[in-house]
Amino acid sequence: MKAREWMRDMALTLLILAASFSAVVLMQRAFDTAAIAPVVFVMAVFLVSRSTHGYVWGIAASLISVLAVNYAFTFPYFELSFSLPENVFSGVVMLFVAAMTSALTTNLKAQERMRAESEREKTRANLLRAVSHDLRTPLTSIYGSCSTIMENYDSLDKEQQIKLLGEVCSDAKWLNRMVENLLSVTRIDSGEVSVKKTPTVLEELIDSVLVKFRKHYPDQPVEVEIPESFITIPMDSILIEQVIINLLENAVRHAEGMTRLVLRVFTLGNRAIFEVIDDGCGIPKERLDGLFSGSINRETAAADDGRHGMGIGLSVCATIVRAHGGDIRAESKVGRGTTFRFSLETEDAEHGQ
Amino acid sequence: MGNNKFKILVIEDEANILSFLETLLVTNGYQVLTARTRAMGHALFLSHTPDLVILDLGLPDGDGVEFILTVRARSATPIIVLSARTTEQDKVAALDFGANDYITKPFGTAELIARVRAALRSHHQAAGAQPDGKFIAGGLMIDYASRQVLLDGQEVKLTQTEYNIVALLSEHSGRVMTYASIVQAIWGETDPGSTKKLQVNIANIRKKFGSKPGDNPYILNELGVGYRMVEEDLERK
Repeated sequence: MKAREWMRDMALTLLILAASFSAVVLMQRAFDTAAIAPVVFVMAVFLVSRSTHGYVWGIAASLISVLAVNYAFTFPYFELSFSLPENVFSGVVMLFVAAMTSALTTNLKAQERMRAESEREKTRANLLRAVSHDLRTPLTSIYGSCSTIMENYDSLDKEQQIKLLGEVCSDAKWLNRMVENLLSVTRIDSGEVSVKKTPTVLEELIDSVLVKFRKHYPDQPVEVEIPESFITIPMDSILIEQVIINLLENAVRHAEGMTRLVLRVFTLGNRAIFEVIDDGCGIPKERLDGLFSGSINRETAAADDGRHGMGIGLSVCATIVRAHGGDIRAESKVGRGTTFRFSLETEDAEHGQ
Repeated sequence: MGNNKFKILVIEDEANILSFLETLLVTNGYQVLTARTRAMGHALFLSHTPDLVILDLGLPDGDGVEFILTVRARSATPIIVLSARTTEQDKVAALDFGANDYITKPFGTAELIARVRAALRSHHQAAGAQPDGKFIAGGLMIDYASRQVLLDGQEVKLTQTEYNIVALLSEHSGRVMTYASIVQAIWGETDPGSTKKLQVNIANIRKKFGSKPGDNPYILNELGVGYRMVEEDLERK
């Protein structure tokens, strides 16, 4: 990485200097004046300092420029001479320009980095705040149920104990899904290369999704419509599985009055379109936009039910789909239902079977 | 399960997890040895020769994978890996290094007991032989002698390759087999396209079994890792 950067900077420096040199030669032929050379080289030094990393290349460029101007373009021609005070002066000016520009550029780059960093920090802090809120609720219930049982072991009958323990179990499972969501995000964040895709058989993906979903929601039927043919799609299957489960779970938790839940996949050109469709209460327009940003108003979202923090779930979906180079959208009509739709690229030339 | 209790060595550094595993296994009729470190686990393994090892991959004194390697150097004792890591590569690596099965934390207790049973059984079966040359799980029956597969009494017409895959999975029923290990056993080589070849065959087998997504009662998916045939029925004799 470092070596490549070094090579790039050197090539750029040489290129700019060579271009300036030829430019000066050409212009001197056209205008017959010596005044042009220092100006052009000052610009070259400026360009080099601006487009390379650190101070080294700018300084090097200015030194070379001083020598070039001194040697080729000032009197005495084709001979180095530092006896004339104007030559020494122009050299000092060039060095000064190089140092200043490099300093400014380095500063600017650092500032840009800091701004991006603070932006990322802000998102992270938002997510963290949302997460701790969503973790606290099931933890409170687990803690409460367990201590209730321990402190009242003899006075609680078996049925009451089993009921409390069952709640502990389901809260723990919910916590686990939450953590899986967070892990998914870090899995994308930590690797700078977006995601590692392996060809995944669509049918197996959907099978795996349904088996897991049924474990959490045994009473919620899902209508499945997928193509008959053998289709493989390059993806990080663990992450896409998470996306679909999140969308299904989101419908179960939020689409009030839902009677049908449909998971549909079809291909369109070289894209596979995934849809999760419910006929529940729908989402008002003003909430639709912020749905995937994770920035939905937590006060209003949390007011109706503290533990259903699906704001995180949906923003995780968006992060995952975008890391795959896809796009996710929601369409909704209040009172009629919601459709979540995302698409992934299929393997072209692979319609085996 | 015989009158001698199976001896299980559990190597796990988290005290709470170790405690509930011990309780769970003892209640299910196993004799349990526990170790908190890899070194301790290794010592217990040598001195007590357990019938099965349950191993956490993230141990304080070294990666559990090294433990798998040292055990495999001297014995075929089944090893079930407990893994908090959710990446498929870790699971595949542990399986390829010689672990018999894996289970991802957090897991259900029923799931763990089923894996323990499957690992112990297939280990002992490998030493003995199929008593009647048949595999029965629910409505599925495989007759190894006549190379026939019956589903709810109806014969399922499989190609040679498809039969070989089904038979292979059934011989390791209850355990996950990685794509690579199946391909290796069926075709004897692993070229880049072979996983796809396997997936196409599995898709055809499922179609012939009448399975649908979400309703795959016999050949289970381990997405990104491999396939697992359901456990054989125990109470058939």
